[in-house]
Amino acid sequence: MKLYVDNDRYGEAPQFALVEAVHNSVRDLVRRKLKESGDDWASFVFGSADKLITKAEFEAIDAKIVATGHRYSFTSMASVRDRPDIYKPAPDTTTNADTFCFEHPEAVTGPPDAEGRALCGVGDNVSRRPTNIRGIARYIRSSEQVIYYMKNGMPENTVAIIDDSGGTLTAPICEKFHAVICAGGTVRSHLGILTREYGIPCLMNARITGIYEGDEVEIETTAPAKTAEAYQTGQDMPAYIWRIAK
Amino acid sequence: MSGAETRTGVTGDTPLTYAQLLEANNAIQLIGDETYWLCVTRTVQGSKLFPVSAYILLSYANCFYRYPEVLRKIEKSMRAEDLADRCRGIGMKIQAATMGWCLPAFYLLGREWLLSLGMLRPQDAAEDIAYVMDFWRRFQLGWHRNNGHINNSAYGHRSQILPNRRLEVFKADMYPCQPGEPLHEATLSFLATVSQYAFLTACECRLNTANTGPYKLDDDQEMLVRDFMDMGESSLPWLDGVTADVTYNNLTVTMAARGCHFNILDDWGSFESTPEFRGEMLSGVGLYTSDLLTDGHVPVGMGSAEELTATLNKISEELKVAMNKLWLRMADWSRDQLMDAGALMYYASIKDIAHVAGAFEVADWLEIDPRAERLRPILNDEYADMALGELVGYLTLPNQVTSPFEMMKHSNKPQRVLTPLPLSILAGEEYVPSVGPIQPGTTTLDPKNDRYNTTRGTLTLAEYNQAVRDYTPESLTPKYRFLCETWVKYNAHTELANELYKIDQRNSRTLKGRGTGKGPV
Repeated sequence: MKLYVDNDRYGEAPQFALVEAVHNSVRDLVRRKLKESGDDWASFVFGSADKLITKAEFEAIDAKIVATGHRYSFTSMASVRDRPDIYKPAPDTTTNADTFCFEHPEAVTGPPDAEGRALCGVGDNVSRRPTNIRGIARYIRSSEQVIYYMKNGMPENTVAIIDDSGGTLTAPICEKFHAVICAGGTVRSHLGILTREYGIPCLMNARITGIYEGDEVEIETTAPAKTAEAYQTGQDMPAYIWRIAK
Repeated sequence: MSGAETRTGVTGDTPLTYAQLLEANNAIQLIGDETYWLCVTRTVQGSKLFPVSAYILLSYANCFYRYPEVLRKIEKSMRAEDLADRCRGIGMKIQAATMGWCLPAFYLLGREWLLSLGMLRPQDAAEDIAYVMDFWRRFQLGWHRNNGHINNSAYGHRSQILPNRRLEVFKADMYPCQPGEPLHEATLSFLATVSQYAFLTACECRLNTANTGPYKLDDDQEMLVRDFMDMGESSLPWLDGVTADVTYNNLTVTMAARGCHFNILDDWGSFESTPEFRGEMLSGVGLYTSDLLTDGHVPVGMGSAEELTATLNKISEELKVAMNKLWLRMADWSRDQLMDAGALMYYASIKDIAHVAGAFEVADWLEIDPRAERLRPILNDEYADMALGELVGYLTLPNQVTSPFEMMKHSNKPQRVLTPLPLSILAGEEYVPSVGPIQPGTTTLDPKNDRYNTTRGTLTLAEYNQAVRDYTPESLTPKYRFLCETWVKYNAHTELANELYKIDQRNSRTLKGRGTGKGPV
């Protein structure tokens, strides 16, 4: 049995294999339930389908994918906290602080210059400033870390290194940051908007490597702010990030 | 006769016409093109707290199954174009983002996702789709009646919706400020705090903030009108209790800037400027509150620059306390609760039109329909991120691919975001008109407390609905409502125009009683 949308002159498979797998499974489910109903499509789509295509059927699709051994990537910490059985393990954000660093494969690097600055990445500048900014790198990647800083206060000169382009994870402590390096998003992401409002120097979409907790870093906030046109046309407008030799 | 009663798709008594399908498809294409531009150039979604993509897809499905019925229900009380007039002059959550984009885009993206899952055909729910697009068009034309465009995009990403009489008051009552002054510092601090707070109350989206304008003040200054909404105990249940001490549910900041031009004010209510706006460019500020029970904007702390400074600082502290309480509540939520709050935030982004109609019901707006809820098990973070990326960014779902000759606006690729209604239904191809009535839904969140923060104090829902139904702002009475900007241009010398202007000037510190005359009182 074919569905109406199976006859598609131009359509191709979705770009991502997981999307294709899920969508094929749902289409199989719809075909099966349509046949089972004995109805024509018009009676089925907003009629018998409501009773026959149940949440349990979608749970079965999810279980089938997990049964192949696939474990989902997560973005929300709550996802892996609540369903560790179906997600890839969460990184330990508390006990490996001294040895952890972001390692972006496209990070540009270079040897220390005359001022002892070793290039260790680039990002998109949110707002251009008259001078570059220096501070101490501190990774902030979980609710537990936010609660820690809520209780103990945020150390001065903190350059927060965050892999969350949103505006909620760090909401209670954001205004205390000296600067932000965000390993995601764009300058129009929520964190970019908020740092602009707070007047906090910020690079978004940062591709960095070799910056560890407690390192002194400098970010090139004198670089031009990345524009909407640059995003639309794919033009790179890099702002550099350096680690300062100890 | 209500607008709804004259439209196909409300009763299903009359078939869709060719003209109606063409109008619907025009709306679908406009919204699709703008959706792509916004999603590609304006943001990348992400949060480690909220499963954002998952809740977005859940909300889209909820919108598809529920919007047609809740909109028809609202139109039994008030027509879409009348809703627009009722709320254009106040700073509540009926804005470019919620009505101009969320309403049609969430609904249509839900349809598009379900199409890709094989759960729909393009012609299914055809009358619903034509009706929702028609509702959107009538609302938008009403909302933009002072500039004549259908959305900010059509206006070249500009949002000048207010009449001259309100802008005169905003300009005259604004306090100038410059870097180093307490008011300047308090304003920047307040704007940052309230923006942060608004992202949190909105579960990691920007729907509790909105900007309109820009408006030209002089050769070197432009003004934005910045709204911050649903800050207290409103119809968002997660704000119950933790925001009980937040004084104002809605605040409007009039913000003047010197030395920059706000060149983009998009359909998400976000702005950009050339050169980019920086704090030191802030040159003037005013503060107001408003809701459905006020006649326009009511000044807050505007007696003097010192009073305004103290007021901004006081509210900032209020919001910081509430923000910490709310954040701790959210950090303790389960994934399902985070998903429900986010999905309901999106779905109910347009809920305030039910308040405008005095017809808000918790079950209509704060529940997930079972037809959407059943999809939850496949909405893991990885699938949701990828599927949403394909749906609004890559445009690579099979239903989004078009003839290889086509070159989409903005991308030049043979793609479209949203599928048109097939005209073949006019040739007799069978279709299903509607998704049918909404079904009793569910939520994992705590039930909404019966408390609504208004300018008349905290009301129950019954009291709030009744108060709204009983109140018509004077400027919207039949005597004044259609005295538009064109009429004012040629009739400013009349007593009627004078009366109209005095309504907006009632709360003005500087222009009270002046009427249509020029200069100070």
